[in-house]
Amino acid sequence: MLTEQEVLQALKQVEDPDLKQDIVSLGFVKNLIMTDAEVKFSIQLTTPACPVKEQLKEQSLQAVKLIAGNRVIKIDLTSDVKASAHKKAAVLPQVKNVIAVASGKGGVGKSTVAANLALALQRSGARVGLLDADIYGPSMPLMFGITASPHVNEEQQIVPIEKHGLKIMSMGFLSKDDAPVIWRGPMVHGIIQQFLTKVAWGELDYLVIDLPPGTGDAQLTLTQLAPLSGAVIVTTPQEVSLIDARKGLKMFQKVNVPILGIVENMSYYLDSNGKRIAIFGAGGGERTARELQVPFLGEIPIEPQVAAAGDQGEPIVIKIPDSAAGVAFKSVAGRVAQELSIENMKGPELPSDFKLAWKTK
Amino acid sequence: MENKVAVKPIEIKQLGEQELGIQWSDGHLSLFQVRDLRLKCRCAVCVDEWSGEKIMKEKEVPQDVKPVSIETVGRYGLRVVWSDGHQTGIYTYDYLRQLA
Repeated sequence: MLTEQEVLQALKQVEDPDLKQDIVSLGFVKNLIMTDAEVKFSIQLTTPACPVKEQLKEQSLQAVKLIAGNRVIKIDLTSDVKASAHKKAAVLPQVKNVIAVASGKGGVGKSTVAANLALALQRSGARVGLLDADIYGPSMPLMFGITASPHVNEEQQIVPIEKHGLKIMSMGFLSKDDAPVIWRGPMVHGIIQQFLTKVAWGELDYLVIDLPPGTGDAQLTLTQLAPLSGAVIVTTPQEVSLIDARKGLKMFQKVNVPILGIVENMSYYLDSNGKRIAIFGAGGGERTARELQVPFLGEIPIEPQVAAAGDQGEPIVIKIPDSAAGVAFKSVAGRVAQELSIENMKGPELPSDFKLAWKTK
Repeated sequence: MENKVAVKPIEIKQLGEQELGIQWSDGHLSLFQVRDLRLKCRCAVCVDEWSGEKIMKEKEVPQDVKPVSIETVGRYGLRVVWSDGHQTGIYTYDYLRQLA
């Protein structure tokens, strides 16, 4: 007679490579049901974008096979995204993880990375929002082909616009056409606060925030107001971009926002023979990540289709998911989700809405 | 080293009329006399931003100054509203740990 204990004991051999613990101790194994004919259970991962989910499933299958005799083994993969350790905020209470996508320098494709990262996470099965916090140069309206304006609901909250299953909010929805936004710091602070507190985001597993380039008002405001779970730094392989990426990265470290890693965009061009041509040099992003001891999340190739897809309002992850860039974005999204899961196992930490009222006699 | 796990407060408590305790994630416990903390404020009103010279007049800070409230700023520091009305300072965790 096969017991539940024996199955769990067998599954204890399967380790999550990121969290470095077995899946039973991590509490991933759920709904174990055994009959004479079958063994059925689900593995609940910390993110639907988990890059090793098939590997874990296969290892679990092999482990149980050894003791299950003739029984059929059925494994269901589910996920329950964990919230950041400090997430209890009055700000964005229903959002489990807030990811800032930043770059030191402009023009490195940060918005393209943010849009495709959000879409790839969404397509893995997560609930995802995308906040375009680039006040001066919002790109999301164009990238998603959105011309509508958001409306305000009964609770006086702005309802984000939904496209491809993503909830999107952008300064571009509020200012019209080509009118530039000419604002000083306090105004920037004000609008970012509104995006965080006056938008009906609803329940989300991930909110991806596309930051403006640099290390100025908008970035500081976000690190102070938004309960950031981690930051993704985008760079190109060029030294001139890497220098600024380091600065952006250090800004986040100064304010204790965990660095999820570096994404290298425009890494190489694939010619018609499939040969890689490193237009801006090779390996800069990875080298920098190693030097600063942060994860390297991946390389995104230059493909004319990427830019075209963005300009046509359908990011590459949606338009040509099997393209080299589409696949690369999917892999980066998996790595980001993975790093967040690792980060979220750390703790404890003060909740982000911590407040102590001093008592006097 | 760069991405090392930062030492963070896990508990912040009032310990007496004038004493604040911070329990850190590495097990260390810091005790502060609150007036000392007030005098160590590094904000632009208390310390000249360019020269680093202290412009706060210690004599003018009441002997019985106390926090009114203490709250977190992002994931890196604390903002204290003081009973003498001062509230522009942010005490980063790094700084608090140096003082401890």
